[in-house]
Amino acid sequence: MSTILDLHSHSEASEDSRAPLEAYLNWLKLRRTERPVDGIVLTEHRQFDKNADYRALEDKFSILVLKASEVETDYGHMLVFGVTDEMTRRFDFANVHLPAQVVIDEIAHMGGVVIPCHPGRPNVGLFEHYSKKPSLENVAAVEVYNGGSRKGEDERSLQLAERFGYGEIGGSDSHLVSLIGLCATRFEGDVRTIEDLVTELKGGAYGPVDFRPRRKPVQHAVAVEVK
Amino acid sequence: MPQPQRSYHDIKIGEALGPEEMFLSKDQVRAYARTTGMWVPRFTDDEGARKEGLPGMITPGNMSLALLSKLVTDWIGASDAQLVRVGTTYRQPVLPEHTIVLQGYITNTNDAERTAEMDIWIENEDAEKLVIGTATVQFAKS
Amino acid sequence: MVDYDPNLIGRVFEVTDPVPVTAQMVAEFCQATGDSGPLYTDEEAAKHGPYGTIVAPPSFAVTFRNGRQFFEYIPRFGRQGFDAGKDVEFAAPIRPGDTITLSSYVKEIYEKTGRTGSMVFVVVRSTLKNQDDEVVAHVDHRFMNRP
Repeated sequence: MSTILDLHSHSEASEDSRAPLEAYLNWLKLRRTERPVDGIVLTEHRQFDKNADYRALEDKFSILVLKASEVETDYGHMLVFGVTDEMTRRFDFANVHLPAQVVIDEIAHMGGVVIPCHPGRPNVGLFEHYSKKPSLENVAAVEVYNGGSRKGEDERSLQLAERFGYGEIGGSDSHLVSLIGLCATRFEGDVRTIEDLVTELKGGAYGPVDFRPRRKPVQHAVAVEVK
Repeated sequence: MPQPQRSYHDIKIGEALGPEEMFLSKDQVRAYARTTGMWVPRFTDDEGARKEGLPGMITPGNMSLALLSKLVTDWIGASDAQLVRVGTTYRQPVLPEHTIVLQGYITNTNDAERTAEMDIWIENEDAEKLVIGTATVQFAKS
Repeated sequence: MVDYDPNLIGRVFEVTDPVPVTAQMVAEFCQATGDSGPLYTDEEAAKHGPYGTIVAPPSFAVTFRNGRQFFEYIPRFGRQGFDAGKDVEFAAPIRPGDTITLSSYVKEIYEKTGRTGSMVFVVVRSTLKNQDDEVVAHVDHRFMNRP
């Protein structure tokens, strides 16, 4: 039984998001046909709230809600899945210059998994760093579909993921309610907990899915006349 | 065209604002810059903007906020409601002499407060979101 | 982590001189934004509207600016960047004939990395009041600096 999860999203807890979690889940319920997502992962910027409990909302909407974090490293932004107290004691998640290789290896050792996000972004994505520095070891996967990508960025991510043999995931990177679930990851296995997710990301079968609507051509509009 | 007139109970989560396509000309951006006291090279002159490392003259962020606010106040129309909050994040420069699309969706309502929350954004011709934001509309409480 | 004087946070650093609002300013603003909303442009319609007179569109509130020394008051971190965004609460309409003052303080400073690399954000809150000392808007400006 497959599971489709949006692996990258930000609620109001991230300073640049304006989306309450309940509104996200309600939107997914409304848009179920176009975005058949079974769950989302909240990947708040530079923080992890171990006490946040979303079970009541999960039950209300029958949508899985898992927690992770998006941290900032010397090789760009990365998603940390399976966050534990040990990890937050070891690394200051608010530090915007975390050492990527150390983070990847030590978090794997502590039972989690770290996945670079939006690697195809110019200037700051993982692959931009690879053009100037040695490539990282032990990268399980990268995010090849990101809902905030600009023209060409996902394509670049896909090309480079293939070149390095990385697994591929998708996530909306939504900061607005209506953008949740636009990109996601389909897992062949059943994912019901964060432990399941980490297991699947490390060794399971999965791939990115894209629910972004095809854009209709923009009509020629008329300029406003100004004096 | 008659203005829309909505009551709070007419609103549905998922309802769209726009999409509204407009061609944003350099003349219009300069008119905004002139009238708001922002007559500086980055908003008025391609060469001057390039000297600041920009691709050409750009639209002031305040103007993008104004266009998105207008999307909402047009939606309000003659309804007994007011725009009470708007928030914007400028992700990419909005370049004039292009067609932009202003769009939004109602994402939440609050029955006790009689407010509607909406996502609003400006897209370019490649469907890239240049400016994103949210707005709150307050309907009359009586 | 960014280094700054924590006493800066919350301390009002500027109150501007009153700026008079004219009918011409409102009309030109509406023209430049393509806004023909009757409450903003049609005296007869506005008379019968909720405010009794022509009012400026809500976003007119962000056109009021700080003084020339503004950037000397707020901390800078490397190269001054751009306007990163605004959050505006509209409290009362602005009318031709009003005079508006701004009172500003640094609300928050934080660091993050994004598409253009390392950035430091300085958030300045400005409160706009009219001649009756009535709050018409709160504007949070986010300025992005590149260290």
